Amino acid sequence: MMKTLDRARTKRVAALVLLAFALVARTAAPAPAAAKAEKLSPPQGWVAPDRQRAIERAHENVPFVSQVKDECFVCRQQRLRNEGYGIDDITDACFLLDSPIIKKRSDQYMPVRFMHSKHAAALNDCTVCHHLRPADPQGKETSRCVACHRQAFDPRHPDRVGLKAAYHLRCIGCHEQMHKGPVDCLGCHDKNVPDHNRLVELPDHPKPSQVTVECLRCHKRQGREMLKTAHWLWRGNSAYTMGRRKEVQSGKGTNAVNNF
Amino acid sequence: MDAQACPVNQRFWTPGVVVLAFLMAAGAVAIVARFVGGIGYVSNLSNARPWGIWVGIDVASGVALAAGGFTTGFLAHIAGRHYYEPIVRPALLTAMLGYTFVVLGLIIDIGRSWAIWKPMIFHNTNSVLFEVAMCVMFYLNVLYLEFAPIVVERYKGRVRLPGLLAIFNGPAEALLSLADAVLPKIMWILIIAGVVLSCMHQSSLGSLMLIAPTKIHPLWYTPILPLLFLTSAIAVGYPMVVFETTIITSSLKRDGEMHILASLTRITIFLLGFYMVLKVGDMVVRGTYVYLLDGTAQTNSFLVELILGVIVPWVMLLCPAVRRSRRALFIACTMIVGGVLLNRINVFIVGFTSRLSDGSYFPSVSEILVTVGLISGLMFIYRVLVTYLPVLSGAHQEVSS
Amino acid sequence: MRLNRRGFFKVVGAAGVAVAGTGQNAGAWHSKAPKDPYGCLVDLTRCIGCRKCEEACNRVNRLPPPELPFDDPTVLDTRRRPTDKAYTVVNRYYTGKLDERSKLVPTFVKIQCMHCQDPACVSACIVGALTKKENGAVHYDVGKCIGCRYCMVACPFEIPAYEYYDPITPRVMKCTFCYERISKQGGLPGCAEICPVEALTFGKRSTLLEVARKRIKQDPARYLDHIYGEKELGGTSWMYISGEPFESVGFRPLPAEPIPRLTETIQHSLFSYLWSPALLFALLGGLMWSTHKKQNTSEKGGES
Ligand code: SF4
Ligand code: SF4
Ligand code: SF4
Repeated sequence: MMKTLDRARTKRVAALVLLAFALVARTAAPAPAAAKAEKLSPPQGWVAPDRQRAIERAHENVPFVSQVKDECFVCRQQRLRNEGYGIDDITDACFLLDSPIIKKRSDQYMPVRFMHSKHAAALNDCTVCHHLRPADPQGKETSRCVACHRQAFDPRHPDRVGLKAAYHLRCIGCHEQMHKGPVDCLGCHDKNVPDHNRLVELPDHPKPSQVTVECLRCHKRQGREMLKTAHWLWRGNSAYTMGRRKEVQSGKGTNAVNNF
Repeated sequence: MDAQACPVNQRFWTPGVVVLAFLMAAGAVAIVARFVGGIGYVSNLSNARPWGIWVGIDVASGVALAAGGFTTGFLAHIAGRHYYEPIVRPALLTAMLGYTFVVLGLIIDIGRSWAIWKPMIFHNTNSVLFEVAMCVMFYLNVLYLEFAPIVVERYKGRVRLPGLLAIFNGPAEALLSLADAVLPKIMWILIIAGVVLSCMHQSSLGSLMLIAPTKIHPLWYTPILPLLFLTSAIAVGYPMVVFETTIITSSLKRDGEMHILASLTRITIFLLGFYMVLKVGDMVVRGTYVYLLDGTAQTNSFLVELILGVIVPWVMLLCPAVRRSRRALFIACTMIVGGVLLNRINVFIVGFTSRLSDGSYFPSVSEILVTVGLISGLMFIYRVLVTYLPVLSGAHQEVSS
Repeated sequence: MRLNRRGFFKVVGAAGVAVAGTGQNAGAWHSKAPKDPYGCLVDLTRCIGCRKCEEACNRVNRLPPPELPFDDPTVLDTRRRPTDKAYTVVNRYYTGKLDERSKLVPTFVKIQCMHCQDPACVSACIVGALTKKENGAVHYDVGKCIGCRYCMVACPFEIPAYEYYDPITPRVMKCTFCYERISKQGGLPGCAEICPVEALTFGKRSTLLEVARKRIKQDPARYLDHIYGEKELGGTSWMYISGEPFESVGFRPLPAEPIPRLTETIQHSLFSYLWSPALLFALLGGLMWSTHKKQNTSEKGGES
């Protein structure tokens, strides 16, 4: 977990540096390059159709299941297997684990993209997640999580966990048990980074050093940390790096033009 | 009363007094630091250890050792043994100053010193501390009133304030006459109230720690802790009088009132014996003697407290030879005083453990300076007051020298 | 000593009457615990040690920013206690339990004020600055506090912390159970709201006890059959269930006896209506009177 976090942090620092570059580049780069990039990227506002569908599904209104069938786990497992439930029955390959129910309480992270088919193929057992079914015989055998798991701490269903906890308990629990898959926050989520278009305050044609100063206004710690990385401290080749294809003679902190 | 009390008329700035003044100054610096940087800045107190020597010594021990005031008052005025009257005034003065400094210590120790009046408005009758606070407050006033006649005796009709203050001569005189007229009529109420209030808060000081059964070492945590506190306070009253009288007489070269002190200690044998029986009996009944030899700081401290502070001096007092020798008597009484002092420190500091967090504690230098400074202040003011007021009995002066 | 005998007699007599009238024992001790308080159930088998609860607590209570950020995992390497800057902390314990790959399995324990049903701190507080509210929260009113720190002496869980570096207006700092938030309809404590796995379940204490029993019954291999806080010290609003012995994850075995019982019984049986001081006053008065009378008859009033 620590390693991942570390990695996340270096990634963040790198992203910061890139962002600085990008801002500089945008102000300095000649127009034709920008035009070319525009041609290759999808048109503004385009969303992949499966993602579009996942977003819509995440906000659908699902009827609430108040009673579940009393059935032992193994019986259910066998029954579903005998009835032939499997990957075939999957309607959507990808889900967005998002819901107004969760958003209402906290919004620290971006919703997780959940690869339904991939998980189903790996497990080949629906009951791991679809552990119970509605008591109503008309109901679907495999309901969506949100059909039962809603707002946390509902006094009418005190022993049901809320939607957010249902997700986390199931995902992290399994991943830990199987030693497979991420168990830390950033392994699944992107951080819900606030919109930097509104946060960044720069004059129209900023000098590169002004950009750095603006970044450091909030990211002071990352700035300090950056000064301790090889990226900054590199002082030329060592015995370990001689003969590599891309030799770098000096770090940014030495005599680079933009060492601020 | 065979000896009229009168002011001491001797050189004031002896080396001892100079040392006192020096310690007071050091303590004052530490106190200033406390009110600038906060309690954490000068003391080693922590979240696991909220009470240190300021409560254990300045407050709890201070109250216990000021017990001479009410015990002698009881003896001379309520039980009618006027024979003991020469020691009533010094004991009363000690008690008055002792409680004054208890309150000063409290003001330094509580975080919001300026809010010290709030318990008068907001009551929590479930709180032992509330009861202690109320008793101390009332008792302090009782002590001042009990002491007032001594001031009246000295200054009535002789108020001569210097310089500009002279305009207050009239009102001050009127006040003294009023006090002279009223006080003797209500003095009996004050004396009885003093004893009642003392019994209440001396015992409740023991109940204070009963709220922490999981933290106080079982050697001290007993439901009869309040009774033990009361009996030990009563038992230490007379030895404390002997202790201070001996110190004063030797430092001021006065007559030792040896005959009075010796008979006081005969009462002490009974009182201290009662305390000892309770303490040992409690240990036996609750079976806590199993801890005695496990060698921890706490058990060792308990052993010292019990053996050197109670049993040995008690045995010493049993011998008539000890009671006749001024030096041996002083040693025995010092041990008793030390034993009770150690008992309070044990209950409030040594026996207090925190199992969940790190509660190791040793007072910091500045914390000690505050305590020492306060005690020096007390002794200094004592010396000042006996210089101006008729407290110490003056008969047979210079006899011993 | 001059004695006004008639006044004396009156007072002593009145005291005697007062004692006779009201001197009964205050009676048995009664718990003052609220009937249907809220509580929180901490499921140690669920907690993943993410410290989001600490972060949320810091935010909703506007506490100062921590030295190390909340996502710094090295914080868990030291055993911490709640402080004046953090009402709640999560600690990691290795109890010796191994997973199937022979790796030590950590147990994470969030600690905060237990919001006892019969709190020692409330009984102790000299001015009643601490009170047990109907909704279960043990609430601190800084406007009454004098800073005596007796509450800290009393608390068996060693929870209240003190602002030792504030010279004039230090406060006692401890978890508030988000008193203002939970007083509102549907309000949740900051930590329980954020906890990603519902290791913290908020609800009525009675409901939580049922939930806890059900969880233990449904998965006896996962849980020990002990709800810490159900009976401890007469019950606490915050309760814990665990898969590891409680002693190995920083809990102490505690008696079922509420702490204030002993002191309150002593205080009230001795001092209710001030009967014992009044009695003592009367006795001493009687003694004083009789000694004076004796001496007066023998000495014919010959005293100072
Ligand atoms: S845990 Fe301590 S501070 Fe909290 S209610 Fe109980 S006694 Fe009071
Ligand atoms: S420190 Fe404040 S809250 Fe605690 S017991 Fe004293 S007055 Fe009450
Ligand atoms: S937020 Fe929940 S899971 Fe995370 S550390 Fe706190 S109690 Fe444990």
